[in-house]
Parts: sequence; structure tokens; C-alpha cells
Amino acid sequence: MPDIFVARKDKEKKGQKKARIEVSAKPSKELSVKDILDSKDKPPYIYHSQGQSYNPLSSFCYFPENVKFVAKDSDERIVLFLRKHPITNLKWILIVALFLFAPTVLKAFPILDFLPDRFQFIAVAMWYMLTLAVALESFLDWFFSVCLITDERIFDVDFINLVYREINEADIDQIQDVTVRMSGVIRTIFNYGDVFIQTAGEVPRIEFTDVPNPDKVAKILRELGVEEEQEKLEGRVR
Amino acid sequence: MEAIPIVGTSLWFIAKVFVLVAIAIYFVFAVVIIKQVNLMINTISIGFEIPIKMIAWAHLLFAIGIFVLAIIIL
Repeated sequence: MPDIFVARKDKEKKGQKKARIEVSAKPSKELSVKDILDSKDKPPYIYHSQGQSYNPLSSFCYFPENVKFVAKDSDERIVLFLRKHPITNLKWILIVALFLFAPTVLKAFPILDFLPDRFQFIAVAMWYMLTLAVALESFLDWFFSVCLITDERIFDVDFINLVYREINEADIDQIQDVTVRMSGVIRTIFNYGDVFIQTAGEVPRIEFTDVPNPDKVAKILRELGVEEEQEKLEGRVR
Repeated sequence: MEAIPIVGTSLWFIAKVFVLVAIAIYFVFAVVIIKQVNLMINTISIGFEIPIKMIAWAHLLFAIGIFVLAIIIL
């Protein structure tokens, strides 16, 4: 192939790259889910303004790149990754903080004085072990209880306790009704709430509890529902 | 130490056995955490797998450490 054609391709590639950077530099531009899905964009994606994040501890991530789910099809794209708002961790963090300070405070009271010193030491060590167990289980519960919305399905992964977990799944076209509930001062201040999804599938109701931006989640679900309807009409159903 | 004539052992020895059993149960809990973390990581990968695994293993080592310490000092 003559060099001139290669040079032109390079020029086109450079032009495309420049265009991508320009889009990312405009945080106010809101792209709809349909626009993004139709764009066939390849990573790295550029939707930071709409909640895209690379932080694995993030609670709301739009078109996440680093999330892999075992039940996901190869051509399926994750549109939204959700977990409970970080503020919901405050309760167990406070409990763990109290647990941590308890032995120091209780030193003032002779509760364990009837025990020999070596037993007192092990009792305190066991107390910290219990504290660690509470902290670890609460963190894992928050970290692994996630909700995923792909362009085809929704998944609700609940890590209820160490020996019980539940994964609910429903197709986007089975969604019948989406209800958003945001009640209370804390929820209003931090903008998080519950999203209830009524489906025509085997699982009649899927709940995303305490997720950030519930209105945005409902909007994305509506957009995906419309997109799915359009795919059906155009005969593009997978 | 108070001796129990029938068993021929001390009260604190029985207390030590109870403490060791409690820590052994905790050790099982730590193993279950590792198992569950591995299972969840295989189900969903978020990009934070290594720190989570390290925390789970550190927790197990902590449980083993307390168990050994209890055997030595009690």
C-alpha cells in the first residue's frame, strides 16, 4: 500500500482522538443511554460528567469499564453499576468505633479483675477479634451487595450474610413499573433512596435499596425500556 | 489454682479449653470469609480483588495468631 494512504488513515485516527477529548472536556453535555450504546465507543469511555468512575468503592458508576459479571453475555454492556450509598456504612462504622474504645473505657471499671492477667489479655484480644468480625462482615455486605443494569437485563446481587447470597435477574423488556422512594432527611440530603422494579418475570419485584441518584436510575431504566421496545420493532432483538 | 478432684485438673485449664474452642470457632468463621470472598470475586469482579483477598487472609492470620497466643500464654 502506498505511504500516502497510510498517512491519511493516521490523520483520520488523530482527528477521531481529538474529537473524543473534546467531548470529555464538555462536562455539561448529557448523552442519553441510547446515544452511548449506539456510538459503539471503545474504552476508555468518556462519561465522567454523568457519573462514570474508576473507583472500585464507588456507589454509582455509569458505563463502568472494570466490572465483570459471571452471568453477563459477551456482547452485553453494563450501563449502570450500583451499590448502597456510602453514608449507609456510618451505622456500623460508629458501632465498630465504640467497640474499639470499649476496652480502654472499661479499664476504669474492675469488671475483669477476677481473672488472672493472662486471661484478661486474651479476653481483650477476643473482643478486638469480634470487633474485626463485625467490621469485616459489614464491609463485605456493603461491597458485594450490588445492582447491575445492562442493556439487556437487570441484576440484584444480595450478600445477606456469610452463608447466604441471592442473585435476582430480570430482562429489561419484562419491566412493568419503576417506583422511586426517597423518604427522610438523611436520604434527601445525600440524595439516595430505593428503586422498586415491578417485573413480569419469575421474580415479581426487584429492589435496589439505598442507591444514590434514584431518579437518575429510574430515568436510565426508562430509556433502556424504550430502546428495547425500539429494538423489538426494528427486529434487532438479541 | 483450684483443683477439681474428680477430673484431676484445674479450673483455669477448663477455662483455657473453652477459650481455645471459642477461638477455633472463630477460625472456622475466618475460613468461611475467605471462601465466600473467593466465591463473590468469581461471581463479580470490580477491580478491588487483591486488597479484599489480602484483608480476608490477614483476618485469618490474626485468628491463627490469637489461637497460638492463647495456647502459649494461658
